Order: sequence, then C-alpha cells, then structure tokens
Amino acid sequence: MNAQTAYSTKPLPDAVADLRGQLRGLKPKAAVFFASSDYDTAALSRQVRSAFPDACIAGCTTAGEIAGRMLTGSVAGIFLDDEIVEDAAAAVVEDLGAGIDLGDPFARLEGHFRAPRSAWDREKYVGLVLVDGLSGAEERLMEKLGDATDIFFVGGAAGDDLKFKATHVWAGGEAHTDSAVLMLLRLRRGFEIMKAQSFRSTGKSLVATAADEARRTVIEFNHKPALEAYAEVLGLPPAEAPGRFFSHPLGLMVRGEPFVRSPQRADGSSIVFYCQIKQGMKLDVLEATDIVADTRRALEARKGVAGEIRGLIEFQCILRTLQLRQEKRCQEYEALFAGIPTAGFSTYGEEYLGHMNQTSTMLLFR
Amino acid sequence: MPGAGGQTTHMAGQIKRIIESIIAQRAQGDPLLALTTETKLVLRGFDPTRFDAWSPDDPEILARLRAVASEMRAHV
Repeated sequence: MNAQTAYSTKPLPDAVADLRGQLRGLKPKAAVFFASSDYDTAALSRQVRSAFPDACIAGCTTAGEIAGRMLTGSVAGIFLDDEIVEDAAAAVVEDLGAGIDLGDPFARLEGHFRAPRSAWDREKYVGLVLVDGLSGAEERLMEKLGDATDIFFVGGAAGDDLKFKATHVWAGGEAHTDSAVLMLLRLRRGFEIMKAQSFRSTGKSLVATAADEARRTVIEFNHKPALEAYAEVLGLPPAEAPGRFFSHPLGLMVRGEPFVRSPQRADGSSIVFYCQIKQGMKLDVLEATDIVADTRRALEARKGVAGEIRGLIEFQCILRTLQLRQEKRCQEYEALFAGIPTAGFSTYGEEYLGHMNQTSTMLLFR
Repeated sequence: MPGAGGQTTHMAGQIKRIIESIIAQRAQGDPLLALTTETKLVLRGFDPTRFDAWSPDDPEILARLRAVASEMRAHV
C-alpha cells in the first residue's frame, strides 16, 4: 500500500461512500480532501470524519481538484497509510482577521506528539497548511509559522471555483472560514518539497517606493506611478500593460529563484497584486517559460534526490490551471505525474516559506 | 555622533550586521536553515544582498528589522 488517491463527482452522501469504495484495502493514517465549493462543506467534513474515524483528516474547498488528473465539480482525496505516515495531527488557526495566534494550535500539536516543537526532527516532520483563500492573511500566517518553527509547512490557499464569495478549510469534522488548518505529519521515510514556477528574470527590476501593503497595492515603482513604471520596463504604453500581467509577473528573487507576485489589475495608476508587496522591496520583472518543461525538469531533479516517490500532493495556482486549459496542455502536464499517486487542488495562492502566486508547490512522500 | 576634532561620523552597516546575526542565530551553523532563514527575511522585505557594510543606518528600516528580529526570537 502506501498512498492512494480517489475522487468522486457524485452528490453527498454517495460521494464519500464512493471515495471509500475506491480504497483497495488501504487503511489511512492521514487523509487530505479537496472539494468543489458546490458541495455542502459542513456536511462533507462531517461525513468524511464518520467514514474515516481512524484517520487524521484535513481538507479545503478549491478552484479545481486534482486526483491523477485535473478535475472540477468533484471531491478528491489522498489517503496515506502507516507505511508513509507514522503519526499525524491537525489543528485549526481561527479568526485570522483578528490576528494570527498560533498558541493553541501549536499547543495541540505539541500535546499530540508529546514533544515541544523544538524537538520535532526537520527530516521526519512536515506540515501541510490550508488557509482561507479570501482571508488576505496568508502572508502574515506564513510569517508567524516561520517564526514559530523551522519545520517546513507547504500548502495552498483554499478556493471557491472562482466565485470569490467564501472558501472553507476543515479538520476534525468541522468546516471553518477565516481560518487555516495545520496538519503535522511524522513520516516514516521522509519527504521532499518542490516549488515550480515557469518564469525567468528579464534582468529588469522595479523597486516598490510606495505601497499600501494591507491592500496588496503598489502605488509607485521607482518613484513613478506603478503602472507607468511597469509599462516602461516592458516598452509599452500604460494602457497596454495589463495585457502583460499574466505573462510578466514580478518576482522576489532569492539566490536567483523567483517567488512570484502576480499583478491582478490596474487601479488607476496603481497595480493591485494577488500577493502583498512591502514598500522598499526590489522585484525582478519576469517572463514566461514553458510550464510543462519547467515542471518536468523540477520534478526530475527532485526524483533524483528522493528516489522512489510514493505519493504527491500538489498545490497548483489556479492561474497555472487556467493556462494549461487555455493551451490545451492538461494531459501533457498530468502525464508528468504518471505512476505517482497524486492529488491536490487549484489554489488562490501557494504557501512555502511565504505566500506566492503562479506557482505549484508540492509535497513528495518518499 | 561627534568624532575626534568635532566632526560628525555617519553610522553605516548595522542593517547588514543585524540580518547576518538573525541568520546565524536561527541557523546555528546549518546551511539549509541559513538558506530558509535568508528566504524568510527576503520575503519580509530584508534582502541581505541589498545591504553591505556601507549601507546607511536608515532608522525606519532598522526599527522594522528589529521588530522582525524580535518576532523571529533573535537577540540583536
């Protein structure tokens, strides 16, 4: 056994029975679910809890599901048995809008594993984070997580099928908004984390000289109106610049690797992003490369390090999913994961050391 | 700060030193932890490559950096 994935497009309650029926004798120690927001999330989380009473469970709503292939309107899951997961626990961080308080959630995790976080082995413990994708709190959550522990947390921002009304995360049979779920896994054979984004630097950069960080808005780059400065770098009139937002996002560079910040829309002469940009940040203007080739390269590199990959959870930006659909390359992309039990979802943002856009973050189980 | 002969000395290099101290304290010699701490700092607006021993000690930047150091439980 090790890991299996399953999905169903049936309505509740049949969907959960359908998922359970697809598990060929596997007894999950941990399970992560990704569901279309068309499902009654409260009912789904209760039914999943009842169907898998011995498993640690987490889940969220999505902008599309992944279970070996890219789906919509379904509930998908990845089920990990005790060949992969020695132990697991989940905790909810509630009321993100009031501030990020990790005290109780971490106390719960430390109580379950009977060890303070300082004793968690970074090579055996890994965290999943699923956060309300409409909370606007993703950046601060990841900062606080990074302050609290050096254990790696990887995950994504929950979606709601591009309705932008309400997203949900769930654990322990209860669904929450304005919250995040932290699932901590102690793994038998370890893991790898992968971050793939199909962009490279153009060599040109912009400094955010005036920014409204809370509204994820840059007012000025290089002491000029943001839209004008961005357009100037691309050699365009400002009116044409929004047409390049998708192919030319910005990247916060760390040793040559971009952490992507995607422009969402122009707001007058300012630019609103899908990610917070702090005043003073220097960002490279990026240009698109081949999404399938880049992901293949990154995956092969990780396989080379990890050896056999027994399961994979993918947190793929909805913008990448839309790109693959538009370019009719979904099957080509799905083929990259052939032979690896893979589940995940299309996100409103990706999480790994921080919050980012137009990226796929992945957790690979050895 | 008046130096010898009454001339004013401009302070510089503190930002770089604090960033390096945060990384050293969190990493404790582990190169992977050093990289992840550096990444976390860049994502918070403090890119170590943008500061050096001659970077002016901007009081606003220093205040924000000290606040981040405190949140990261580094003593500076």
